[in-house]
Amino acid sequence: MSLLTELLINATTGLLWGSVLGAASVGLTLIWGVMKVVNIAHGESILLGSYIVSVLLLFMGIDPLVGLGVAVASGLLLGFAIYWMNLHKIIGHVDVINLRIEMSTLLEMFAVSIILYNLYSFFTRSEPFGIGIWHLGPSSYIHIGYMSVQVNHLTAAFFSLVATLILYQFISRTSTGKAIRAVMQDSQAAALVGIDPVRIKMLTTVISIGFTAYSGFLVILYESAVVPSIAYKYAPLAFTIVVLGGLGSIIGTYIAGIIIGLSYGISKVVFGILVSKNASDPLALSTAFVILVLTLLLKPEGLFARKR
Amino acid sequence: MERYRDYLSRPTFILIVILLIAVWIAKIFRLETTDYLITIMFFIGIAMSLNIIMGFAGYVSFGHTVFLGISGYVFALIVYYNIWLAEMLDMFYGLPIFMIAILAGAVSAVIAILVGIPVLKLRGAFFAIATIGLDFAALYIIKAVIPIINPEFFGAQIILPAYALAYKDNVFVAMYLTFALVLLTNYFVRRSRFGMGLLAISEDEDAAEALGVPTTKYKILAFALSAFMTGMLGAIFGLNAGGVDENLFNLAHTIDMIVMIVIGGIGTVMGPLIGSIIYFIIYDTLLVTYPEFNLVILGSIVAVLVLFAPRGIIGIVRGMTIGGRRLRDIIE
Repeated sequence: MSLLTELLINATTGLLWGSVLGAASVGLTLIWGVMKVVNIAHGESILLGSYIVSVLLLFMGIDPLVGLGVAVASGLLLGFAIYWMNLHKIIGHVDVINLRIEMSTLLEMFAVSIILYNLYSFFTRSEPFGIGIWHLGPSSYIHIGYMSVQVNHLTAAFFSLVATLILYQFISRTSTGKAIRAVMQDSQAAALVGIDPVRIKMLTTVISIGFTAYSGFLVILYESAVVPSIAYKYAPLAFTIVVLGGLGSIIGTYIAGIIIGLSYGISKVVFGILVSKNASDPLALSTAFVILVLTLLLKPEGLFARKR
Repeated sequence: MERYRDYLSRPTFILIVILLIAVWIAKIFRLETTDYLITIMFFIGIAMSLNIIMGFAGYVSFGHTVFLGISGYVFALIVYYNIWLAEMLDMFYGLPIFMIAILAGAVSAVIAILVGIPVLKLRGAFFAIATIGLDFAALYIIKAVIPIINPEFFGAQIILPAYALAYKDNVFVAMYLTFALVLLTNYFVRRSRFGMGLLAISEDEDAAEALGVPTTKYKILAFALSAFMTGMLGAIFGLNAGGVDENLFNLAHTIDMIVMIVIGGIGTVMGPLIGSIIYFIIYDTLLVTYPEFNLVILGSIVAVLVLFAPRGIIGIVRGMTIGGRRLRDIIE
């Protein structure tokens, strides 16, 4: 296999994975950008969607596309519960969120993350859960030239793009979306023009966790089986992507996801040549975190942040 | 002299001394197994060493396990090549184990300084996220590099040579000394000018800077101190386990540390101590029957405490009144 082919294959894989990563991070950018709540339980929120889709398929034979609806609904419910149980008392009636409040919400979401993670481990006994050989269409692979691409990967990337665009349209066009953006910019001023900040904060949490649960479907399409520790792979990557894309910017986050995915794919080839084949995968994953630290130091507002 | 008498008669100091004596008595009279005591000391130790940067300075480091990992690997590598080192340095036994542990801790401290200079400029959640990133970057790099150094380290796992584990009692003593070091450092830092500066940083960093606290220097010093002690504990943990693997970088250790500190009370010495004791009681009673549920319960406790008692159990206790006097005035 020539170098160019290898590069092309890895870049394609990186692109598809990046698309999934981008969509899986959009929920985080919303809740972080609007309310300054860093959802440490982001990985676990993703897993909620994955588990519901796979459990419904495995035990009741429900098609994942139908199970997806259930997953989103339970994500919305989880967001509702998290807002009223964990967040409302801390940020509900606060206009300017200072460092102390930010740390309180951080610890609160951290507690949610511990609870969910261990509930998953308890109920699944840490065994992998997956959708097996389920895929859209007649065959599970598509052949393009030298490459064969999994249909599930293509589906996941496509669904990511569509969902991100729909969410973007919702945030930029509808009146609720505009209210969310108003609260993001200035909660106090938004209240002055008749927007109820509590309602908007609640809605933001619900939409954010709901969308994250939806992206759990994409993740299980991509990974085909999940274990609880997948949360430790996706959540840190999501933090990286959100910081790179700029807080609160939906399209920026999606593009940052693709950047991270591509950099993974390409650096995998580079490290495979420079170091060794075995070491290339972990080293390629570490590039994402080098990018994170560099972004935080050089351009902490992110690549696509809204200009103030 | 007056000042030191005041230092040594405070309830926190007395608690530390009682704890140290209790562990020693439990060891001598075999009330608990040595392994169990080492585990307890390890967990309390990592919580207390994170306490310096998280509790005092208010910088929550989610990726603090990175120092456990780095020092663990440095320690394991030096121990593995100790015989070769001994030949080179013309020493009969090579470096003593405890000295290697200190060396490993020092490596973590140096890395903490180098990383801390840029990263400690970030505040709040960004610092937490950056440390998580640091942890994963270090994990993936070590996973890739260690098998290249020597093919025997398959899967980035280093198994220590048998001579390092010759005496279990030595591991206990090494852990005990480190444990005592961590507790006493915590206590004396909290009482010192340096500790007061850190507390001022956690209250309001800009105001502290304006009032003449050298914030940058203090933050980096606190981060390095914290990393040094975490690193030493990681090295001795590796020694006790007979080897190191990538699990040292697992965020589960961070969960333990942060939960213990939050349960007890942020910003104090007594808080994390009491928090870790409570943590162990819950952990132990549920460990056998429901190994996952102990963390579910501990997580719920954290969620409730952050909402209703942000200063932790120590904050509740301090606020209580006995006969019209606040307990805080009585014990302090």
